[in-house]
Amino acid sequence: MRLILAAFLGGVLGTSLRFAADVAVPHTTDQFPTGTLLVNVLGAAALGWLVGGLWTRPAVPAWLKVALGPGVLGSFTTFSAVMVSLVAQGAAGLWTLAVGYLAASVVLGFAAAALGLWLGRLFDERLTRRRDIA
Amino acid sequence: MSVWVVLSVVACGGAATVIRYLVSRAWPVRHVWGGRGRLAGGVLVVNVVGSALGGVVLGLAERAAISADLQLVLLTGVCGGLTTFSTWSVETIELVSRGRWRSALLNAGLTLALGAGVCTLGYLLTR
Repeated sequence: MRLILAAFLGGVLGTSLRFAADVAVPHTTDQFPTGTLLVNVLGAAALGWLVGGLWTRPAVPAWLKVALGPGVLGSFTTFSAVMVSLVAQGAAGLWTLAVGYLAASVVLGFAAAALGLWLGRLFDERLTRRRDIA
Repeated sequence: MSVWVVLSVVACGGAATVIRYLVSRAWPVRHVWGGRGRLAGGVLVVNVVGSALGGVVLGLAERAAISADLQLVLLTGVCGGLTTFSTWSVETIELVSRGRWRSALLNAGLTLALGAGVCTLGYLLTR
């Protein structure tokens, strides 16, 4: 029950942040969805960093992992908005925009996740080494 | 945009997050295809279902069958909370970093193909 509450509260925060980004960087069908791309790239990098680093520590409580992972970052990023934008762009005949948006989302999103995982592991190793010396 | 719309978007986002969390916990990354590949089943399911619902909302909105407020609650709240880009990309990259290229391609390709397919179908059926 505590984990479900953690997921809900994290989801409320993540959805609020994504909603705010939508309002701050709005886009119409014929414009590149920069806001959604930024949200997804940032979210993928942040989750990678947590999974690669902090998550590997046994001292981190489960509720915090659920609140931050599936909760905040899971709901902050969105897959459906990418698909909806692609279908809307395709229906309007904007195929160059659709292909460009899909390619940018996949390439930058996966690169951000990889960079996040790598930085998380690097940061965690350094922290562990410093502790060993101390 | 009234305060009730904002609260509805945020509350639906939280509730949809709980559903995604439970589904992804019930079906974590596991062997599929007779052990030849690995797939994050739960995340695939929520992303595909959320994309289908997104297509339906897009189609209904095009012929003004739903209000702008309801559209916001369903797309930004329900679909946005139910689906995730971060978990999908991090799980795919983790498969790559363990040398499971075939599983990573399967996880990425299947999600994209099914997500785009059902979203298009939902849009075409309801517009």
